[in-house]
Amino acid sequence: MTHDDDFADLDRMLAALPLEDAPVGLRARILTATVYRPEPAMKPWEIWLIGTFVALAVWLGWLVATAPYAGERFVDTANRLIEMGGLTSVTTFLWLAVGVSAAWWVSQLTFPSTRRIRIR
Amino acid sequence: MAAALAVDPPVAAPVVDDQALIDAALAGRSDAFEEIVVRYERAVYNLAVRTLRDATEAQDATQEAFFKAYRALNTFRPGAKFSTWIFTICYRLCCDRLAKRKRFSNDELPDRADPSAGPAALAERNDEALRLRAAIDDLPEKYRTVVTLYHLQGKQYEEIASVLNLPLGTVKTHLFRAKEQLRKALTP
Repeated sequence: MTHDDDFADLDRMLAALPLEDAPVGLRARILTATVYRPEPAMKPWEIWLIGTFVALAVWLGWLVATAPYAGERFVDTANRLIEMGGLTSVTTFLWLAVGVSAAWWVSQLTFPSTRRIRIR
Repeated sequence: MAAALAVDPPVAAPVVDDQALIDAALAGRSDAFEEIVVRYERAVYNLAVRTLRDATEAQDATQEAFFKAYRALNTFRPGAKFSTWIFTICYRLCCDRLAKRKRFSNDELPDRADPSAGPAALAERNDEALRLRAAIDDLPEKYRTVVTLYHLQGKQYEEIASVLNLPLGTVKTHLFRAKEQLRKALTP
């Protein structure tokens, strides 16, 4: 005689014991938290990248601002760059406008997504 | 035997196995994950409610278990049993919740959410299922979980041992003692 035989009645009772019904709304809660969860505006790596650039920019800005004669040197450099780059000519502004509008149009393009679920 | 209870009968005719559903979910089919939820929601909730003895906390644990499973679906080992995996996730979450409860309270673990439905009151109703549930609820946590998994998964001791992260022998011993206590509790 085995242990299983000892508990044959109990095993039968357990086998016949129906599962409790899950509360109404639990399934909706689960699905809302998983497949229907809205995509975050940015992916983690994008947040890290932007954060790194912002930190770098702040650090550079702090270096520039604390350098001796920072204001005068900044104005001098800006003036020299404007003259060197020809930013005073109409042709340069025209090309800049073309470049900006092309970049804007490219940013508006959308591509079909191949994955509806993204495992985050 | 009882393993069949863990899975709701599918509504549509073709029965798709769990691995195919997981593959489909990973390929972007949200309906595939919905089907997984439909299949295991009740079983996972039952494990949580038996372990925690609190319906509200059990709902939270069930939701969290599916959320964790969804996030980690790409780490699911092909060939493994999904039920074992989701039960393991759920059981660990329940253990965390029980540990938190113990930390914030010096008292014994709280009883069921509805104290009026104690074993004595339920016995008066002469309902076998209710009496059995009440008797299971009165077991110590380690025995209660083993019996619940035995109920959900049948005589698959290896699966139970895997979920509980216990040696096979310990699972069998716990189950034997749990059944002894249940039999005593149910004997008039």
